Order: sequence, then structure tokens, then C-alpha cells
Amino acid sequence: MTVILAYLYIAKTKILSSLVYRFDVFSTLITNFIMVFALSFFWKVAYQGVGSVDGVDEKQMITYTIISTLLSAAFVFDVENTINQRIREGDIALDFIKPVNVFGIYLAQDIGSIASSVMLKAVPLFIVSALFIALPLPASAMGLLLFLFSCILSYMILWLLSAIVGLTSFWIVELGPLGHVKNALVGTISGSFIPVWFFPEGIRKVLELLPFVYIYQLPLGIYIGKSNFLDSIKGITIQFVWVCLLFAIFYVLQKKARNRVFVQGG
Amino acid sequence: MLKHVKHYISVGAYSLRMSFARQLEYPSFLICWVIGNPLNYMMGVWMIGVITQRFQALNGWTYPQIAFLYGISLLSHSLSVLLFIQTWGIERMVIRGSFDRFLVRPVGVFFQFCIDYINLIGFTDMIPGVIIFVYGSSVVNFEWTFFNTIKILLVLVGATLIRGATYTILGSVAFWTKSSRSLISMVHALFERTTYYPLSIYPTVIQVIFTFLLPFGFISFYPACEFLGQDSGFDFPLEFALWTPVVGVILEIIAVSIFNRGLKKYESAGS
Repeated sequence: MTVILAYLYIAKTKILSSLVYRFDVFSTLITNFIMVFALSFFWKVAYQGVGSVDGVDEKQMITYTIISTLLSAAFVFDVENTINQRIREGDIALDFIKPVNVFGIYLAQDIGSIASSVMLKAVPLFIVSALFIALPLPASAMGLLLFLFSCILSYMILWLLSAIVGLTSFWIVELGPLGHVKNALVGTISGSFIPVWFFPEGIRKVLELLPFVYIYQLPLGIYIGKSNFLDSIKGITIQFVWVCLLFAIFYVLQKKARNRVFVQGG
Repeated sequence: MLKHVKHYISVGAYSLRMSFARQLEYPSFLICWVIGNPLNYMMGVWMIGVITQRFQALNGWTYPQIAFLYGISLLSHSLSVLLFIQTWGIERMVIRGSFDRFLVRPVGVFFQFCIDYINLIGFTDMIPGVIIFVYGSSVVNFEWTFFNTIKILLVLVGATLIRGATYTILGSVAFWTKSSRSLISMVHALFERTTYYPLSIYPTVIQVIFTFLLPFGFISFYPACEFLGQDSGFDFPLEFALWTPVVGVILEIIAVSIFNRGLKKYESAGS
């Protein structure tokens, strides 16, 4: 119990510290709105005189875009930078001797940041988008429920990927930001911008074997009603398998990383 | 005068050498950038291709034409991050008092500031930039006549200056407010959305804003319109390709004067 209280406290301090930068809140809102606004025009032009493509119409695609931007505004995964920075400054050893799990601390910090991002970024963006673009309603109440559940798994995939990338800096500090490659992949083949279902068949099949489409495309597809109940459940199951798999990799890596620190520390 | 210029050139050359040496201390740090940045942009342009194939040309712009526009934009982006990336960090430099060392030297501060760090990562954006531009210009049958070559070069210089000057102006806000990083990300998002696609997909109001208020249309949209014979929706008394360097130079002059004015507000690090 006391351990959980400790994590809650860490999350709370993170929320409070992000409330300090009010100017950033405002400019991030504008930046995100620019993204949604521009992309919705992109889709409007693409859909000119076209009814629906792959069973998705213009209205659904604009909803997809708005919710996608909301998600990326809400999802915070500083874990990779935190690990990197703690290693570079040598503080990681101090983190390891704390009486709570070090990765639990990082996760609690990120969840705290998410709580403040939802309040300060996602909710205002939702309101502004609803006023100026379109009200991004889910296809059904069931869809909304499944979407929310799927988002939790999405975030776990994203967080674990970032943590794994962060952990690699125990071995390859000099390789530069591996996270940059990961972010490029998430930015392009996760469906956060253009859904993979529009891609040519062969490429789509390959991409569906990777975890990236399960970060953005799956929950968003559920939200707009692109995938039916059965497909949604199937997708969520695959998400769950990815979470387990990535957790296993993460677990092994962090064990090894721990030993490495103790060796270095003498 | 000549002696003055010679002095600046030799200082610049030393500074450049130092900047390269500093970054190449760990040459492998570039590896992830060399993979990540080209991947990002090649996928970006390819995805637009997918959309034009599955849907239709974007407001009359075919995929080859968009690739040509994308190429110009990305080349100017890579040049601007190569030369002007320090402007993204003015916030940090103001807080840490890093301008102190520039102020005590007998060479112009803005010059030292620009020459202090030539960002090698810019080259990793230039790789996809060159590939996409070469691809785009060959599929639209761009004629490499003498005048067209000169015009393209002028456009690239102008577009790089427009981007660099915008970063400089926004970065300089930190001299007054101590914070400008989030403004930079905002304008970065704007560049992404206004220079990689034809501006004409947006309503006319937006196009007017990005022509007269924030002249980002001159980075890639107007020059591409002219080279490709596309309708830009506006009539200008001069060729667009010539407007781009003019706008670039004017913006750069404004940017330097704002930077210098901001520098007067600079009060070094506290305590």
C-alpha cells in the first residue's frame, strides 16, 4: 500500500510541475490545432467528389485525424529520455537503490504527465476542434468503450517500446538517439497520420505484423467504426499479445542493465 | 573594407573547423539520424503518393508535381537546419548566459552566433531532400536550362533565408521573455503543413495569411507553381522565383535587427 502511495505522490508532483508553464500550454494548443486543421483540409481535398474509400468516408477520416492528434497530445513517454539522461549524469545508480522500483517511478511520472496533458492539451484541443472543424463523435457507445480500453493497451505498447529504446543506452550510448528512429517509425507506419489500410496490399500485410499499427490505427479504427465488434476484439487481443511480448523483452533487458550498473559501480 | 571581410572569412573558417571537429568527436552519433530522418521524409512523400493514387490529385496537383514541391521544401529545410539550428536554442543560451563569450570578442555577435555551430544533422535531411528533388524534377520533366538552374538556386537561397529568418525572429523572443522554444515548435509545425503540400488546398484566407503576413508560400508553393505552370490563385507583377530571394533577404534583415535589439536586453546569467 505504501508503495502505491509513493507512486501516486510521484505522479502528483509531475502534474503540479507541468502546471507551471502556462505559456507552453497555450502554444502547444495552437501547434496541435494547426496540425488538425491542416490535415482535415488535406482529407477534404482528397475526398472531393469521392464517397468513401475502403469503407471510410470524409467525416470518419476527419474524426480519425482529430482523435489521432488528441491521442498523441495525451500520450507522454518521457521514460526513454529520462533513462538516457540519468545514465549520462550517473544518477541511475541512485535511482536503483531507492526502495521503490525505478521503472515504476518513471511510469508514475509519465502517467502524471498524461493526467496533466489530458487536462491541459487534449481537452482544450477537443473543444477547439469541435467548434471549428467537426464534433468528433464515436461510431457507437460500444465503440467508445472498446476504444478507451484499446487506448490503454496502445499506451502500454508505446511506453514499453520507449523503455526498451531507453534501456539500450546502457550499451550503445554513442549510437545517438535510437529513439529518433523509433519516433520516425511511430510517426509514419502507426497510422497516426495516414492509416495503413490505404497502403498497397503487400506493404500493409507486412506492417500489420509489426507493433506500430496497434498504437494508433487500431483504437482509431474502432472509434470511427471502421472495424466491427469481432475485428475490434481480435485487434485488442493482438495488442495484448504485443504488450506481453514487449514486457518480456523489457524485463530481460532491465535485469541485464541492472547487473551492468552494479559492475560499473564496483 | 577588404581587410575586414578577410578577417571575417578567416575567423569563420576556424570556427567552422572547430564546429566540425567537435561534432565528429563521436562520428557514430550520426548513425540514428542517418536512418531516422531519411526514413521520415521518404515515407512522408510516399504516403502522399499513396493518397493521390487511392483518391485523386490534390486540387489539380499530381504526385510528381507534389514531389517536386516537396523536394524544394525539404532542401531548403535541410539548409536551414544546417545553418540556423542555434536559433532554436537561444532560450537556453539566454538563461545560461552563453552570449557572454560572443560579446567580449571583436567580431559581430550575430556572425559568431551563426558560425559557431554548423549542424551536421542537417546533412541527414539533405539526403532525402536531394533524392526527392531529383526524382520530382525528372518526373515533371523539369528543363535544366541555364536560367532555370539559376532560378532554382535563387529560390533555394531565398527559401532557406525565409526559414532561417523566421527561426531567428522567434528565437530572439527569448531575449525578452526567456522562453521561445515552444514558439519554434509552433512555427515548425506551420512549415510542415504549408510548404510540403500545395497551399491552394486551404481556403483563400489561409493562403492570403501565408503570402502577406507569414510569407511561407514563397518557400516552395509559389516557385513550384511557376516552374510547373500551376495556377497559384494570385497574380504578382514579377516572377515568383524572383520574389522568393527578395522576401528572404528582407526577412533576414528584419531578423538580424530584431536579434541585435534583443541582445541589448540580454543581461547574462543571474547571481
